[in-house]
Amino acid sequence: MVTFESLNFSPAIPEIFLAVMGMILLIFGVFRGDKGFRLVCWFTVFSFALAAVLLLHLADISSLAFGGMFVTESFAVVMKVIVLTGASIAVLMSMQYAQREKIARFEYPVLMLFSTLGMMLMLSANDLMALYLAIELQSLPLYVLAALNRDNLKSSEAGVKYFTLGALSSGLLLYGCSMVYGFSGTTNFNDIAIALSAMETPSAGLVTGLVFILAGLAFKVSAVPFHMWTPDVYEGAPSSVTAFFAMVPKVAAMGLLVRVTMGAFGGIAEQWQQVLWLMAAASALLGAFAALRQTNIKRLMAYSSIGHMGYALIGLTAASIDGVRGLMLYMTIYMFMSAGVFAVILLMVRKGQQVEEIDDLAGLAKYNPVMAVCLAVLLFSMAGIPPLAGFFGKLFVFQAAISGGFYWLAIIGVLSSVVAAYYYLRIIRIMYFDTAENELDRVEDTPSLFMMRGTAFLAVIFALIIWPLFHVLHEAVERLLAI
Amino acid sequence: MVEALIFYMFAFVLIASAVMVVVSRNPVHSVLFLVMAFFNTAGLFVLLGAEFIAMMLVIVYVGAVAVLFLFVVMMLEIGKVSMKEGMVTYLPVGLFVGLVLLAELVFVYLGWEMAEGAADRRLFPTPDASEVANTHALGQIIYTHNVYLFQISGLILLVAMIGAIVLSLRTRPGVRKQDIADQLDRRREDAVELHKVESGAGIK
Amino acid sequence: MAEFFSEYMLPVLWIAAKIMMIVLPLLGAVAYLTYAERKVLAAMQLRQGPMMVGPFGLLQPLADGLKLFSKEMIFPQQSSKIVFVLAPMLTFTLSLVAWAVIPFDEGLVLADINVGILYLFAISSLGVYGILMAGWASNSRYAFLGGLRSAAQMVSYEVSIGFVIVSVMLVTGSMNLSEIVLAERVWWVDLLLFPMFVIFVISILAETNRAPFDLPEGESELVGGYNVEYSAMTFALFFLGEYANMILMSAIAVILFLGGWLPPFGIEFAWLSWVPGIVWFGLKTASVLFIFLWARATLPRYRYDQLMRLGWKVFLPFTLVWLVVIAGALLAGDALPVM
Repeated sequence: MVTFESLNFSPAIPEIFLAVMGMILLIFGVFRGDKGFRLVCWFTVFSFALAAVLLLHLADISSLAFGGMFVTESFAVVMKVIVLTGASIAVLMSMQYAQREKIARFEYPVLMLFSTLGMMLMLSANDLMALYLAIELQSLPLYVLAALNRDNLKSSEAGVKYFTLGALSSGLLLYGCSMVYGFSGTTNFNDIAIALSAMETPSAGLVTGLVFILAGLAFKVSAVPFHMWTPDVYEGAPSSVTAFFAMVPKVAAMGLLVRVTMGAFGGIAEQWQQVLWLMAAASALLGAFAALRQTNIKRLMAYSSIGHMGYALIGLTAASIDGVRGLMLYMTIYMFMSAGVFAVILLMVRKGQQVEEIDDLAGLAKYNPVMAVCLAVLLFSMAGIPPLAGFFGKLFVFQAAISGGFYWLAIIGVLSSVVAAYYYLRIIRIMYFDTAENELDRVEDTPSLFMMRGTAFLAVIFALIIWPLFHVLHEAVERLLAI
Repeated sequence: MVEALIFYMFAFVLIASAVMVVVSRNPVHSVLFLVMAFFNTAGLFVLLGAEFIAMMLVIVYVGAVAVLFLFVVMMLEIGKVSMKEGMVTYLPVGLFVGLVLLAELVFVYLGWEMAEGAADRRLFPTPDASEVANTHALGQIIYTHNVYLFQISGLILLVAMIGAIVLSLRTRPGVRKQDIADQLDRRREDAVELHKVESGAGIK
Repeated sequence: MAEFFSEYMLPVLWIAAKIMMIVLPLLGAVAYLTYAERKVLAAMQLRQGPMMVGPFGLLQPLADGLKLFSKEMIFPQQSSKIVFVLAPMLTFTLSLVAWAVIPFDEGLVLADINVGILYLFAISSLGVYGILMAGWASNSRYAFLGGLRSAAQMVSYEVSIGFVIVSVMLVTGSMNLSEIVLAERVWWVDLLLFPMFVIFVISILAETNRAPFDLPEGESELVGGYNVEYSAMTFALFFLGEYANMILMSAIAVILFLGGWLPPFGIEFAWLSWVPGIVWFGLKTASVLFIFLWARATLPRYRYDQLMRLGWKVFLPFTLVWLVVIAGALLAGDALPVM
């Protein structure tokens, strides 16, 4: 007999705190109006920080809550802290941009907060129903945010496109969930794993269900062949929202993917490895080749992020401690690098107008060397040039693939990163060797400037701080896979 | 026997009105038939002993959703002809899809096989109606077992509401609104001025 | 054959007889409610009211009824005939079927179902269809406007009525109307429910389209609202339905808040408990009905935006918050009903 008291709320305290803060900020915003935008932003960041503190208090406990639907252990805590960091950065960077672009409505940070809450719930989901609802809570605010600049045709288009395709992916996901439930008799991840181990060969229905679930999740991380929404949504959505899209939800979705594949379906790894192999290779290749001809920097970043998801998935395909650790490291690095690049994109203003063509950066090195250097470092890092941060991300992922016996996958990964390096270098060439026709303004956007410099600095010194980070991630993954 | 009779009555009217929703020439009639279909579904739920769900169906769908639906259809005045355009072209496709679905249903029904002991492993077995009223049983499942899912659903709906407001609310300048507090704050001195008017002089 | 007769026919006949025993007095009550309304209004406006037909005009309702029954039914051109006729029938039927679950005295109820209060709520939420259908089928602008106004108004106020009902269910722990009447309540819980009672009474004024919320009829602007085009029998059905609904809503208010058939204020004098419960029930219902008439005589009609404002911006937030307050108080005072 389940009673209300036996549900064990305590592991979810950070999430509960965040939900309550969201509602308080909403009420505050309603009374204060859009004048309170900056204040609500600051309070949101403050809540993220407090939630992270609360999380770290729970770091050593691994426990189930709500009758097994909610799980928390060091893996979830680490991933949630990364997500919270990314979300805080995104909110901070948005503040000035949103006011410049006249989308500074108090709901903006509140929606980001609820989306972040959804991501935290995703990372703790231990049940198919909880998984679905968490994903919906995560994506619904994103649809709204994409269309936030509602008088702009492209923004509305981005919102509608994202929403329609998101609904489609939810449909796929739910279909998969229903099949898994039908063939295993349970929605709980632990029980699914038990049911799987009881079968000699996994039933066809279960595998089909798994494939559909993977398709639904692949949409969320924008892996090929479920990537179509990415370029349009990235381009159409307001840049600060795109920054958020690029940085945070993918980390959460990757974490969830790890929990579903390694946790619930860990017993039939050879089944999903084939699917992930294909997705990883296709994403890496498409990300590299499709980006070559882009002229809009946001579209370029969209293809670049598809490619990066491919590399990260290479780690997961290995289905080993090394692989998952590599994936987590990759996602962490990717998040910070995207933060830096998007900080630059947010700073691309000419005569008070936001611009986003790559050619607008021409000659940047002449009149704004700091910005040019930062962007160059970040792009080098993304391309995977040693000894910058991105190099380590790729290194560990490929290493895991090779030790897992996926040589071809590693080769495809390396080759496509060589191709990808070309378009990163192209931007650098434009910045340093082309001449400026019109200079960009100098924008006093302290948070974005700080993020740009900070992430570039991080990319440079990453080799020095990698080992402690590595240790934390390793421990988290070990705990996750030990259960 | 009486139950069977009532069941067939509800079932027949339900299907008939569902058909009429599609066939009816007038959109308003369609909506009214839809309401009838909902109502008969509620009747079927009562027969199943699920009185709470039956009432909720009437309150939520008939009492609120369909009313708004009817509202919109009445206001739009969709032409009678335009609704039915393409009926002939799409009819074969529709029939085909319907047939395929029907065939699938038949196959599933014929080939249905429960795994051993599956009935005992159900997450939420139906409690005996004589022991627990079904409102209590539902409450137990929704608010105790699944309180977590319930709360997330609540948050999702909240976000949907915020989203709808953010994307559609426009504050128009120059709209005169009644401000009750303002009206109540008004004092006699603000509104009335007393003058002693001399005969034939007037005021200013 | 004999078995069929004793097993099916007799119970059915018995139920039919019971239904008649409820419906006939109800129709009588409706007739004399119209009389009471005219008399009360007259008294408040220093007039005499109906005086000519029978002693003190007591036969006036009968005369009115006869007049309506003997008139000709008129169908407007291009009206949707079937819907046009269905609408008053629906309104009238709905106002009668709701009485099935009303307990007049302990055990004196046609169908003592588990979810009685939800049934009432469901039936009253259907009432809007009669009006919408009438407004649309008449193919007349006044009627259509009246119908739309009425629909918006009823849907809006149902929300706060819903919360009021939920708070009563919370306090009594039951959805069965008899159990709600008999539930033991602590005095401070009654005190907490009082604001809900006030809101309920105001909301049922809106729900039944009565003054000061009678915009759907609004004779000064809409001529007569949704029933402009109706005449004779069809009009009579609307009329009967509206007044039966008033009595029904008052009866619900009595059951939810005023202790149903029990003597008032929980007084336990011996001579009070000799009075049959149904008399108390009737008296209490009549006193709530008096509020309806009183409001009509004294309050000016609300403007449409004011009506919506009251419903959505005052009642809805207040009932929501107050529901939480009641729940919290019950939890803190350990007064939650035990299952």
